[in-house]
Amino acid sequence: MKFLLWAIIVFFTFVAQASISLFDITPNLTVVLAFYAGIREGEIKGLFFGSLIGTVEDSLSEAFLGPHLLSKGLAGYLSSLVYSRFFIWTPLLGVISMIIFTFADGIIVFMLRSIFDGMPASVGAALYVIFIQSLMNAPFGLFLRPGDK
Amino acid sequence: MPKKWLFLFLFVIITLSLMTYQSNRQHWFPLKFLNNTFNMFHDLKHSFIDSIKSPFQKMLIREEENRRLQAELAKLLQEQQQYREVLLENKRLKDILSLKEKEHRYVASAHVIARSTDRWSNTFIIDKGLPHGIEKDMAVVSNQGLAGKISGVSGSYSYLLFVTDMSFSAAARLQESRVEGVIAGTGFRKCRLKYIPYEEEVKKGDIVITSGLDLLFPPGIPVGYVSKVDKSNIGIFQDIEVLPFVDNTQLEVVVIIKKG
Repeated sequence: MKFLLWAIIVFFTFVAQASISLFDITPNLTVVLAFYAGIREGEIKGLFFGSLIGTVEDSLSEAFLGPHLLSKGLAGYLSSLVYSRFFIWTPLLGVISMIIFTFADGIIVFMLRSIFDGMPASVGAALYVIFIQSLMNAPFGLFLRPGDK
Repeated sequence: MPKKWLFLFLFVIITLSLMTYQSNRQHWFPLKFLNNTFNMFHDLKHSFIDSIKSPFQKMLIREEENRRLQAELAKLLQEQQQYREVLLENKRLKDILSLKEKEHRYVASAHVIARSTDRWSNTFIIDKGLPHGIEKDMAVVSNQGLAGKISGVSGSYSYLLFVTDMSFSAAARLQESRVEGVIAGTGFRKCRLKYIPYEEEVKKGDIVITSGLDLLFPPGIPVGYVSKVDKSNIGIFQDIEVLPFVDNTQLEVVVIIKKG
């Protein structure tokens, strides 16, 4: 049941990601899912879940398998560490961490694609897009909190 | 904990190796089949949104079209009105021109630019005056008939005393019977034909023209027609009401002619 619910959420996240755009920039909603999976389910499950989302995203992006797989897997794993090891969740910290994770995810994907395939955009444009995506995701940090241990 | 880190390390190594492998060979998409599912869903979503949006979009387009057509219609009506005005003006000017050609006493033609501010007098202001040769007591006619006389001249403007004014009078006669009398204003819409003997046969509809005997108005200018004849009053003259041909509400262009 839980997996089915996650599958539905993932499905609609991808649909939403392909349907919404702000300033001609599509949001990066999948990193929010990976982040949430990490803080709710722990490192390993977060890593697994993030990898799964990344695999789907890579397959849909028709570039090559890997950039999203790695970045989302890392997001799932490391987001769990943030609240279990270093910080106690507060809304402000949630917003900051969401911005950092989205930014890091964008940078990783951009770098990996630049290294293994070809530069998908100029550095300036990429930074602008990633910055806007980070701001778009920031409000999610207010609501996505870790589960009670 | 170290096990988890090892797991992460392995994950990073595997993905990097995978990417390195793909960079030299064909790209690999294990879940590519999902593309069709998403595309189908997007198509459905698009159709669904379109079916909702479409009627509103059509309404908006119709609304916009309606607004545009209304503006166009207003513009066309305005243009039509202008054309009509030009046609009417053309007709009036033609009438004036024919009057000018017929009338050898022609002095000037003028536009009525205003009514007198005194609501009790039937006086109009016309846009010609001394420089155009207009003098006091000159006759004023329109294409329909006698309009009145010049009651005063002030620079480039003159005052037209309309036939219905109480202080207006002119020598007149009935066109058919040639009976002479005096046409005078009543202060309202009608005139009165005075001094027509009781025994004279006057019918409703008889036309009244100027006789020229007053040496002010040239003879033969149509003034109006008899609208009412009253013989019931005891006296030697009939009470004859005359409706002027010239309608003071439609007076726009007039011609000033020399004294008879």
